[in-house]
Amino acid sequence: MIPKPKEVRSLHERKAGIWPYLLVAPALLIVVAVVFIPVLNAILMSFQSYDLRRPSDIAFIGFNNYIAVFKDTLFWQSVLRTVIWVVFGVGFQFVFGFCLALLLNKNFKGRGLVRSVSLIPWVTPGVLIGLMWRWIYDGSYGVLNDLLMKMHIIEDPIPFLARQGTSFPAVIVTIIWQGIPFFAIMLLAGLQGVPHELYEAADIDGANVFSKFFHITVPCLRNTIYVTTLLRIIWVANSVDVIYNMTGGGPAYATQTLSVYVFNKANALNLGYSSTMSIMLTLILLMVAIPYLKTMFRNQEA
Amino acid sequence: MKKSKKLIVLAILSALCLLIVPGCKKGDDKSGTGGEGKTIEITHWYWADNSDYSAKMQEIAKTFNETNGKNIKVKAEEYPWDGGGYSETLFTAAMGGGGPDTAAWKLTSTPLFVANKLLAELDGFINNWADKDDIEENLWDVMKQAGGSDKIYVMPWNTQVLYVYYRPSMFKAAGVSVPKTYEEFLEACKKLTRDTDGDGKIDVYGFGMRGAKGGQEPWGSFIWARGGNFTDFTTPEAIQGMQDFIDLFKKGYTPPTAPTDGFNEIIANFKSGKTAMTIHHIGSSSGMVETFGDDVDAFVFPAGKGQWTSMGDTENVIFESCKNKEAAFEWVSYLATGKGQEEWCITTGNVPVSKRVQAMDFFQNNKFMKVSIEGAPYAGIFPILDTTTEWINTVWPNTVAAALTGQKTAAQAMEELQKGLYGDKK
Amino acid sequence: MERRQSVISRILFLFLPLILLLLFILFPFYWTFVTSIKPEMELYGKTVTYWPRNVTFDAYKSLFVDYNFVKPMINSFIVAATTTVVTLTVATLASYAFSRYRFKGRKALMVMFLTNNMFPTVLLLIPLYAIMRKLGILYTPIALVLAYTTFTIPFSVWLLNGYLNDLPMSLEEAALVDGANRPQAFIRIVLPILIPCLVATGVYIFMNAWNEYTFAVMFTNEKSRTIPVSLRNLIGQLGVQWDLLTAGGIITIIPVCVMFFFAQKRLVEGLTAGAVKG
Repeated sequence: MIPKPKEVRSLHERKAGIWPYLLVAPALLIVVAVVFIPVLNAILMSFQSYDLRRPSDIAFIGFNNYIAVFKDTLFWQSVLRTVIWVVFGVGFQFVFGFCLALLLNKNFKGRGLVRSVSLIPWVTPGVLIGLMWRWIYDGSYGVLNDLLMKMHIIEDPIPFLARQGTSFPAVIVTIIWQGIPFFAIMLLAGLQGVPHELYEAADIDGANVFSKFFHITVPCLRNTIYVTTLLRIIWVANSVDVIYNMTGGGPAYATQTLSVYVFNKANALNLGYSSTMSIMLTLILLMVAIPYLKTMFRNQEA
Repeated sequence: MKKSKKLIVLAILSALCLLIVPGCKKGDDKSGTGGEGKTIEITHWYWADNSDYSAKMQEIAKTFNETNGKNIKVKAEEYPWDGGGYSETLFTAAMGGGGPDTAAWKLTSTPLFVANKLLAELDGFINNWADKDDIEENLWDVMKQAGGSDKIYVMPWNTQVLYVYYRPSMFKAAGVSVPKTYEEFLEACKKLTRDTDGDGKIDVYGFGMRGAKGGQEPWGSFIWARGGNFTDFTTPEAIQGMQDFIDLFKKGYTPPTAPTDGFNEIIANFKSGKTAMTIHHIGSSSGMVETFGDDVDAFVFPAGKGQWTSMGDTENVIFESCKNKEAAFEWVSYLATGKGQEEWCITTGNVPVSKRVQAMDFFQNNKFMKVSIEGAPYAGIFPILDTTTEWINTVWPNTVAAALTGQKTAAQAMEELQKGLYGDKK
Repeated sequence: MERRQSVISRILFLFLPLILLLLFILFPFYWTFVTSIKPEMELYGKTVTYWPRNVTFDAYKSLFVDYNFVKPMINSFIVAATTTVVTLTVATLASYAFSRYRFKGRKALMVMFLTNNMFPTVLLLIPLYAIMRKLGILYTPIALVLAYTTFTIPFSVWLLNGYLNDLPMSLEEAALVDGANRPQAFIRIVLPILIPCLVATGVYIFMNAWNEYTFAVMFTNEKSRTIPVSLRNLIGQLGVQWDLLTAGGIITIIPVCVMFFFAQKRLVEGLTAGAVKG
């Protein structure tokens, strides 16, 4: 089909024609067919006093929802909390996940078994994660308190989820736990594409473990790292079920991230207001994503 | 060559369309009408609080199907309670044009569904119903209130009256008798908080406080006991009630976990002997008896200046979209006063709404049922407004947690609760 | 001397961190299991026991006998497997286009795919339900597959695109010079190298579909119920049935792990087979 080239031309310089569109079409069709109307609908709702508890009062109100959101102190608190949630959550997931990926890439007995059991946090349904961790943190019967007391680190049990200072760190630990396998598996797969020759050459040069890691592993995985962290940021920023099942956003809104706030408002059926907040969340995420995308597209061009 | 490409595009597009189209033809297969056959199908949604209830509901539906004699076939489908998410699931389905014909219900969702015209009006059926008088007049009033008009949209099913569970042995050890007044109750909370093994640490707390979602029900009793009420949370009496609630926690008469303790925790704490009193309804009594035998009893939340206890409720509704409302009514009335009422209330221990069933020996000989019925005159519900659900789910728990942990004063918290329920208007 | 050092470094750099990480990862799982075999009295006992004094497997029995837990598991499996296959197929094609072609609208399409997943799903529920109902696929597995693919496709396209960009293009270019066409070059050269990445992405898709609750509760009924919904049915107003819930959790976790045990070999095989040739 494609005429044979007389000289070596890079794939990108070849004439694309209709092929790329054809290849993207099925994916695009499924996605657009399903979410196009709902998303459009949600955007429209953000300009209306769309509160299903008062269906007769629904009307277009311009930017009033946006103004109300900007004045809402709970909204800004949740934004701040979302930032902390994502930075610590994704940050530690990445670090631990990367470590695990490197370890699982080594040769040792029982590696297959270890690989499959490290998947467990990811396999566990969200409800169970929330409830189990709540149970571990429990201030009266929780195993964490018992362990800490047996090790004489604390004297009296701490009601981790009932206190302002400890509840948010506690839920962050849970999300870290849940996300480690994602990075481990994704990066482990990426590691398979790193050519062995590079390591061998570095060994001859006498490079140590760390310089090999930073000069070979990381650059070779650059795109994978970019993509996985970006996707994970989006996913964690949007995740509701862990927090919802552990604290419901409490106590006193101490664990209410923006997505939990949206969820609570949407459950209260003030859809106009929660749509507005969702759009804000999307915009914030885009703001994070744009520098990412710019570097990524630039790297590809190079 | 270009043609072939276009052909491929067309082929892919049409293949995708084919995937979607055949579904369309099947169209709307919502049950409800019997169609040309004679059986009338009714889809009923419910939630189950445990596996026994789940099995019981299936059994009731089966018996009904066998005995109704009108060829009505009820298909009972279980949905997760999901901390109240049940109502949202129901709403989403109904708004999307689907959902069941009848469903188990909580009064608090009534304004939302009525405002969106999703519920069938039941007055016509009820007025012609032989068993109408088997249900207390005041219950019908509550049902009307919930709908915000003179019309009835909700069929009573059963109620639970909240009361105080206590451990007689702990009362004896602390030298406390069953409190008769609100002041005595507060005093009892203090006296029952004890270090029983002398290691310098408290190991029994007087009162198992519920600070998480659902805690507004026992909390309401404190507000009323000081002479407050729910139309204005900002009266000095109501604020004093809130202050009492905060003090119990601050002074350490409740477990330190109270701000996030929900149903699970208060019951677990009570069962493990960590608390001497806690507030819940008859639904948990069988578990208590299993654990303690005779060493558990109950009393009505005592009176101060006022007296109030919360009435939990479960009802059934018929949806406007239901195509055969007579058959649906047959089913919900079977649950309200028929054999369904008997069976359900015996299994769950809930207070029957049918006077006939209330009079049965099973209910007359149960000490917890007696306390429930004793408390019934003081039992009430929170104002049912369209804001109530949100207020219960997020405003109350978060505001009260802030008050308990000292971020807000009682007065500030009550101000916020007032705003959360009634909006800015006074 | 050198050997001993390598043993020490193996312990220090491999086993020690591995054991620490595994402790963190596995302890909650262990605790779930212990909870599932503890009688309720012991659960709320005065002391925390790390192995139950009285082991009981009643919960497991009851799940299979009273609850027919196998059915939702099969449903979940069908939905998750179909979602995985559909998503992987269309996402591979799309990501290949994004990575190996330069065409108008490429960046815009990629950004569109990404934003699709930024929007919280709660807000899409009512219209989605209405769409599913109009299509007549409500309460069939297709509804869930359609809903899930909508959200897994964009992520997978991005993931695979990331992997493809990390794979050097020189191999394919060489094949093209040798006279192969693009599809041939893709199937012979790229696909074998991509297998680990496909497995990883597949695991991601499978997990998403396996654990999803919000859509599952709306788009299924008694017949098509999936695992997360059945699990949540065990939490009523009268509290959590710990034994059943945790046992249910264990039962759902184990088969997936066993499946992964067989898949994980592929996770590392790909390149060793493909790249040596190149």
